[in-house]
Amino acid sequence: MIETDSIDQGSSEKSNTKVFVLVFLMLCVLTGLSFWVANSYLMENKVVGWAAMMLVSVAKALLVILFFMHLWWERAWKYVLTIPALFMGVLLVLLLVPDVGYRYLTYSKDRRENAPEPVVSEPAEVSDATPKLD
Amino acid sequence: MNSKANPSESADIAKGGEDKGSHGHIELKYQPAVPVPKGKLAVWLFLSTEIMFFTALIGTYIVLRFGAPEGSWPTPEDVRVLEWLGAVNTFVLICSSVTIVFGMEAAKQDQPGRAKKWLLATFVLGCVFLGIKAYEYNSKFEHGIHPGSPRSLLYDRADLNYLSAVKSNLDAEILRIEKKKTALVSESGTGHDHGGGEKDLILIRAGLVQWTQKAVGETESPMVRELALESLAHQINPRGSNPRVETYLANEAADVRNRIAELMGQQEIVDEDVREMQERVKGLSAELKGEQDATKKSDIESRLAAATEESKTAAIKSTEVVDLLTPLKSRIAAYEQFGEIHDGLNEHFHLRLPMVIPSGNTWANTYFLMTGFHALHVLGGLVAFIVLLTFRLDRSRAGLMENVGLYWHFVDIVWIFLFPLLYLF
Repeated sequence: MIETDSIDQGSSEKSNTKVFVLVFLMLCVLTGLSFWVANSYLMENKVVGWAAMMLVSVAKALLVILFFMHLWWERAWKYVLTIPALFMGVLLVLLLVPDVGYRYLTYSKDRRENAPEPVVSEPAEVSDATPKLD
Repeated sequence: MNSKANPSESADIAKGGEDKGSHGHIELKYQPAVPVPKGKLAVWLFLSTEIMFFTALIGTYIVLRFGAPEGSWPTPEDVRVLEWLGAVNTFVLICSSVTIVFGMEAAKQDQPGRAKKWLLATFVLGCVFLGIKAYEYNSKFEHGIHPGSPRSLLYDRADLNYLSAVKSNLDAEILRIEKKKTALVSESGTGHDHGGGEKDLILIRAGLVQWTQKAVGETESPMVRELALESLAHQINPRGSNPRVETYLANEAADVRNRIAELMGQQEIVDEDVREMQERVKGLSAELKGEQDATKKSDIESRLAAATEESKTAAIKSTEVVDLLTPLKSRIAAYEQFGEIHDGLNEHFHLRLPMVIPSGNTWANTYFLMTGFHALHVLGGLVAFIVLLTFRLDRSRAGLMENVGLYWHFVDIVWIFLFPLLYLF
């Protein structure tokens, strides 16, 4: 009644191969998709593009975890070992957000002056500001 | 519980690390807390710590990346990242995930030969991944992108700190070439001509670095100071086209040319003066020699003294004009010689002058940390493959194959997240 290795069930071996090939093709397509997103109009609004690429990555990771790592066929222990760990990781990161993620919003004047210089691309009123060399 | 499992399955479990306990009179049954073989449980526990490890690493990168002020994070071109190479590596890892899955399936069906072939394919794909990674690392090192200080050449902004870094770096390089040259001369007596490279360096020093130093020191306007420093950084390592700087440089060149024309006119006049004075001094001293009359002699002497004085003043004036002309001339020479170089002096002359890439060091630190840890994990997987390849991969090893496969898939998942974050964002 306890399956030590649920996918080791003779009859399903052939169909497993099919599943794996299908997952492989989907992974390839999804890689192409994130590459396409990076060079498409979606990047005009960067947040949309980034979110799309992250969603694609999560989908790919899920495909690998569920099928290549057999979690789809495993019993409930899979939740015990993966979800708390994921929580810990995400919480660790969220702890950084107030001080590090929002650092730019709370820059002091001194710090702002020494911050990495953002790219300024507009050539506004430069011709007037040409230096006089004398 | 295990009594219900069929014989082949319990054999599986035994090889997978379960207690057999068949030597005693009573066969002790081990009831696992989690219904999986011990080895697999151990791998999954390890992987759950790995999940925390990489989530923290990748998440910290995300926080740093998206917390950076708009536009102050390096673009892929800034840091020599090739998107398609990352995509190729992603494909390679996905393929390797599939090959190891097929390897495990073959082992389960008790086909050791096929299993070994699939495993070998996985091993080769892992090597390809690391090879591409090594190539990428190398191309970054070649362009002076290292993980942080003390070797870093990356500066956040073009300021005085940056200027002095360029200056000391350039001085050291010129000194090194000179030393090498004298060493070569003293060794062989002939000495190869490294003059081309050195001449360029000296022109960079005079026409760019010292010029910028002067411009920054002389100007009152913070705007001009910023532009002068920015143009230096742009000429050393351009980050795309920068119309602001290009207009500045073009206007400045026109200005410098005008000043040179003006000063050349002055120089001609001054030189004429010098020649005239020298001739007068010559004439007077000749006159002095031929003169016998004492009163006339003293008169000539006083005129001679005045003329000498004037000639000296004219000579000083002439050197003053030359002093003014020299930096302008080297600036215009630098402008003409380097103006057409669009990939930057560092790239063109294979120099390693400090570069301005905003947040470049943070980028390099996080990039090398994440890809470095990932590459170490790939390396660990390759070692496991080598060990596995020495075994006969029949049904009894299927559990072991699965465990190594689980680890390998996890490595693949990490890359699935790293690829868009590092190459496409």
